[in-house]
Amino acid sequence: MRFIWTSAWKDLTRTRRDPLALLMWIAVPLVLGGLLNAVFGGGNVTPQGRLLIADEDDSFVSNLLASAFSREPLSKMIFVEKVSRELGRARIDRGDGSALLIIPKGLADAVLRNEPFHLELFTNPSQRILPQMIQQVLTVMVEGEFYLQQVAGAQLRVLSQELPENRAPLDQDIARFSVSVNRLIDSLRKYLIPPVIRLDTEVAQENASGRGFAAVLFPASMFMALVLLSSALAADIWKELNGGTLRRLAMTPAPLAAFLAGRLLFVVVVYAVVALVGVSVARWIAGVPVASFPGAVAWLVFSGSAFFVLMLLLLLQASTQRGANILSNLVVFPLAMLGGSFFPFDFMPQWMAGIGAKTPNGLAVVQFNAILDGSVHARDLELTAAALSIAAALAFLLALRKLRRGFAL
Amino acid sequence: MIEVDQLRKSYGDLTAVDGVSFTARPGEIFGLLGPNGAGKSTTIGCISGLLTPTAGHVRVMGHDVVRDGRAARQAIGVVPQEIALYDDLSAVENLHYWGGAQGLRNPRLRERAQEVLESTGLQDRAREPVKRFSGGMKRRLNFACGIIHAPQVLLLDEPTVGVDPQSRVRLLDLVREQAGAGVCVLYTTHYMEEAEALCTRLGIVDHGKLIAAGTLTELRSMMSERDLLRLTGVFDPASVRETLERVSGDGIEVVHAAPDQLTLSLAAAARKLPAIFSALESAGAEVRGTTLTQPSLESLFIKLTGKELRE
Repeated sequence: MRFIWTSAWKDLTRTRRDPLALLMWIAVPLVLGGLLNAVFGGGNVTPQGRLLIADEDDSFVSNLLASAFSREPLSKMIFVEKVSRELGRARIDRGDGSALLIIPKGLADAVLRNEPFHLELFTNPSQRILPQMIQQVLTVMVEGEFYLQQVAGAQLRVLSQELPENRAPLDQDIARFSVSVNRLIDSLRKYLIPPVIRLDTEVAQENASGRGFAAVLFPASMFMALVLLSSALAADIWKELNGGTLRRLAMTPAPLAAFLAGRLLFVVVVYAVVALVGVSVARWIAGVPVASFPGAVAWLVFSGSAFFVLMLLLLLQASTQRGANILSNLVVFPLAMLGGSFFPFDFMPQWMAGIGAKTPNGLAVVQFNAILDGSVHARDLELTAAALSIAAALAFLLALRKLRRGFAL
Repeated sequence: MIEVDQLRKSYGDLTAVDGVSFTARPGEIFGLLGPNGAGKSTTIGCISGLLTPTAGHVRVMGHDVVRDGRAARQAIGVVPQEIALYDDLSAVENLHYWGGAQGLRNPRLRERAQEVLESTGLQDRAREPVKRFSGGMKRRLNFACGIIHAPQVLLLDEPTVGVDPQSRVRLLDLVREQAGAGVCVLYTTHYMEEAEALCTRLGIVDHGKLIAAGTLTELRSMMSERDLLRLTGVFDPASVRETLERVSGDGIEVVHAAPDQLTLSLAAAARKLPAIFSALESAGAEVRGTTLTQPSLESLFIKLTGKELRE
């Protein structure tokens, strides 16, 4: 047990002797964030997503609702696709789509009669911005319907009560309704034309500097850095092997498990420093909203440590250091790109984001986003943490077995 | 004490160590002499617990290295062939790490680090990173890390490879000091003169087998004070053997006969050279070079294996 500290101390001392390496590790997420910001132009980002609508009502009201997403500026960001309920559920379950809106039959009648009604919205957990936007638009429209009922509820109810089932309105019904609405508008004219309430919109300076963009890119750059650092820190095992120190250690009474645990402890310390600096810069310099600072740092340290152990196991499968380097490159870059650690999920095609969200780093990125914006669900976080912990523990044991069974020879 | 009994280590079809048995006692320097690839390092690996023997038993200070590995490893100090140190740590930091791996704790660890730094002559450079050390200094520190915990058994795997003569003398003195303090030393080397100068008993290994063992005197007596005559040129092995058998009354033994090389073992070879050359000439041989070696480990090795140690 004591050798865990000895081993971690050794690695920390080696790092202290090479402060440039430590600075580079800290700088990696900052440099990546800066580069991504430059590559994507900074300032404005237009995420693109897909809203699946299962319109079972197929009325003018439901069409009005759907068409709200087809007007600019939403139409530039959200592509609306009509689907059946079953197909929509299947696609959203596999992450294909930003959200699924189900409009059950009876919406138009409910609006006309001012009766309670339920719309169903399913959102994709791997995306953050677009599902929230869709939810906001729906909320606004529901509120709009409330105000419509307050202003013209009587007219709507008259129309709906006087229309027998399955009969088109007669000319005199329409004429009476039109006169009624005209009178209503006349009574509101003094408020509407010109509007008494004027909405002045001013874009805050902070937004103009790209705050939203930084918030989108920050998780990706942090996790890209963690994946790269994990690979670099895990590759040190090959230095130990080639230098003969690991073989020498295997001839002492010190358990190899303590050596690995010491290395993991060292990695935790490194990630704590990297995460503290990274989250601090993001929050206080780039203006990224961080709902829970300790939570964000702790999650980065936890998930980074899990990546390290997984990477260690991977690199131990190679038979030479060169082979380990190739293996690392083969895995790290695709995993980083797919798992939302290079391009944020919001920038990806839906199918790719769906797959990426199931990778180890993808799982961690989704939860990190939730921690940052304060929308984390305890159960989701626990499940992800448990999955990463189990994978890391298994990888630790397998790596130890690999070391004991001949790697150290 | 090290007890090796019918040790065998195989990797698939390859048998690296094949039925090796020997005993090394406290205060003794037991040398394992053999060419590269003879199985010396594999034997050390099995004794240190790094490798699991395929068959046979190894006991260190009475502890079986397989069943009671931890206790055995606590008694062992290893100085590996490669310089297994952390270049970016200082000498004293390396000693603290390897001492920690052997279970030493402060203040004993600090005391021992100071002692071994003094005994290896590195105390003035104790705080410097190892990467600034010369090759000889690194070798001495490599040795110091192996003895930091004052082991009862010391395994040295070719510790003087690539070392300058001055550092080599220093290292050999350190090994003698350990043996003088009662430590059981197992020393592998392919330097004949080093083995002759250092070891109290020797085992000669080739192709994984222990082909001879004993004190230097006992091994030399196996040569019966006979010289070794090595001839190069053009020979017909069958004809040469037949011709030399006719003069075998003079006690000439053909150790090795090949078309380009002939090795003979005989007493007082210098006096018999004219007769040998005459006999070879009559057999149609053409002698181009002659090397006469007086009885030594080198000549014994050639006699036992038919080849030079460095081949």
